[in-house]
Amino acid sequence: MSEQQPVLVRVFLTFARNSLVREMTFRTNFFIQCVSAISWTLMNLGFYLIIFHHLNRKPLADGSGWQQNEFFVFLATTWIVFSIVQAFFMPNVQEFSELIRTGNLDFVFLKPIDTQFLISFAKVDWSALANFVMGILLLTVGVWRLTTQSNNPLSLNLANVLLYWFYVACGVTILYSLMISLAATSIWLGRNQSLYDFWFYITNFSRYPMEIYARSWGWSLWGLFTFVIPILIVINVPARILARPLRPEGPWLGLPLSGFAILATLVCLVISRRVFSLALQSYRSASS
Amino acid sequence: MNVIELKQLTKTYRVYQKKEGLLASLGGLFQREYRDVNAVRGIDLTVAKGEFVAFLGPNGAGKTTTLKLLSGVINPTSGTAQVLGYVPWERKNAYRRRFALVMGQKNQLWWDLPANESYRLHQQIYRIEPAEFTRTLDELTGLLGVRELLRQPVRELSLGERMKMELIAALLHSPEVLFLDEPTIGLDVIAQHNVRQFLKQYQLERQTTILLTSHYMKDVAALCERVVVIAHGQIEYDGSLAGILDRFSGHKIVTLAFTENQMPPDLTPFGEILEVLPPKVKLRIDRNVVAEKLASLLSQHSVEDVSVEEPPLEEVIADVFSRATRSKEA
Repeated sequence: MSEQQPVLVRVFLTFARNSLVREMTFRTNFFIQCVSAISWTLMNLGFYLIIFHHLNRKPLADGSGWQQNEFFVFLATTWIVFSIVQAFFMPNVQEFSELIRTGNLDFVFLKPIDTQFLISFAKVDWSALANFVMGILLLTVGVWRLTTQSNNPLSLNLANVLLYWFYVACGVTILYSLMISLAATSIWLGRNQSLYDFWFYITNFSRYPMEIYARSWGWSLWGLFTFVIPILIVINVPARILARPLRPEGPWLGLPLSGFAILATLVCLVISRRVFSLALQSYRSASS
Repeated sequence: MNVIELKQLTKTYRVYQKKEGLLASLGGLFQREYRDVNAVRGIDLTVAKGEFVAFLGPNGAGKTTTLKLLSGVINPTSGTAQVLGYVPWERKNAYRRRFALVMGQKNQLWWDLPANESYRLHQQIYRIEPAEFTRTLDELTGLLGVRELLRQPVRELSLGERMKMELIAALLHSPEVLFLDEPTIGLDVIAQHNVRQFLKQYQLERQTTILLTSHYMKDVAALCERVVVIAHGQIEYDGSLAGILDRFSGHKIVTLAFTENQMPPDLTPFGEILEVLPPKVKLRIDRNVVAEKLASLLSQHSVEDVSVEEPPLEEVIADVFSRATRSKEA
């Protein structure tokens, strides 16, 4: 027997493969899930088209520069980030709460592999990636329209594109950290049904450009969701890098915010890892 | 060499006491009553390499809790434990590569996939060399006779077949220590027998150290030379299976067949009458007077056949359990 550590990438690929085999066993279910995900996405798009129709070429918040095409980039980023979270983390985190309640977490502790890795990556919901494809399509349309518009066309370079994906990864990491911390609390609470609700309430705030909150008491929301629970930077930072809706950028929208996003990602990751291992110490299993 | 060493191992759970009724439940939102449950109370135990030890005890005696402590699934309240030189609840990967836990009531295989796919995952997590993996899998599936079921989704297997698949999953990495928590629970007689035979042969060949909990005395009698009886979180007995009878059973069962119409009307002076099926009688006689009573019986009456037996093991064990309960209540 080899004393080497398992290669995490290979283990993950096997997880992903097993999940795909499983989903293919229930093909009809798989297609229905894809169709319902895409329908929701299209309704979402229709809703914003109506809003922009009402706005009549004005941006989403006064002077913010989030007009229809810029917002398409923002919306596409939302779909991309959330589809990644839905596909790779949501099924595992939900399963985690269930494992705690039923005591089946026992088996996870037996494996000679990082426990958080095993819990976070065991399942992949491939159907959720339908929205990832939709996001890429909408992103392409948005960027293409921005670069070809006659008035002040957007010029795109490789650095922007790479930075965009880097910050998408940061956003996913922040959401994952928040999720796994919330789920880990089920070890102390025994049951945490409000997990999904809370998740939905909180992440709703991340789905709009942050300029919307830059009004009177909205600032407190902005501060809360930027610095305490940094949910606002998840979509805003990558989308802003690609769509560049505001030129010149406001004092907190440019470099400082991008720098802060990296810091926030690291802090979230460290805190969530800490909460996770602390929670595991309190695990008490369930009846045999 | 001792593979397992426990010293004063203790685990206490704090359990929320839910009161009956809606009002009391609402009250429970603000003020809760807790009760301490002493699942394991200061256990001392050493197990040498290659031993096959049975843990016997009534439900809630602390058997499973002990196995969970030894697997590092839960932390103890106090006391120490070492398995293969590791402290289990430190959850070192080096330790986790060297033992396995099988729980008859829980399953770790992917439900919707063939067992084969779960095994492949095990291969990667435990870093088993491909050649060794193929050889071990082939050997185990051959021994258990499940080779043709490898490609069938786990949810479509019978309980017995699934248990065999679970055993294979636990043994693929050739653990040096194996914890078996009721591996034959719910299985039919044939499946129980198969699993038992397999474990016996496997242990004989590999000299794996095995701790087994089971409610089936046949499992224990067939597999284990050493028996540890746990009741109320404490060890009540540690020794051979036969030794339980010597220590806890104060009597023997004597069956007499009298010559036709020669059966005496009153046999109570000789012992407690268990069953009368003329001309046969079954008596329970104190262990230390068996010879004496039997001699006087044979000299006074005409007897065709005699048999002297130990009482059934299940009965003795049940008696040990209830005695432990009584002494705790007292």
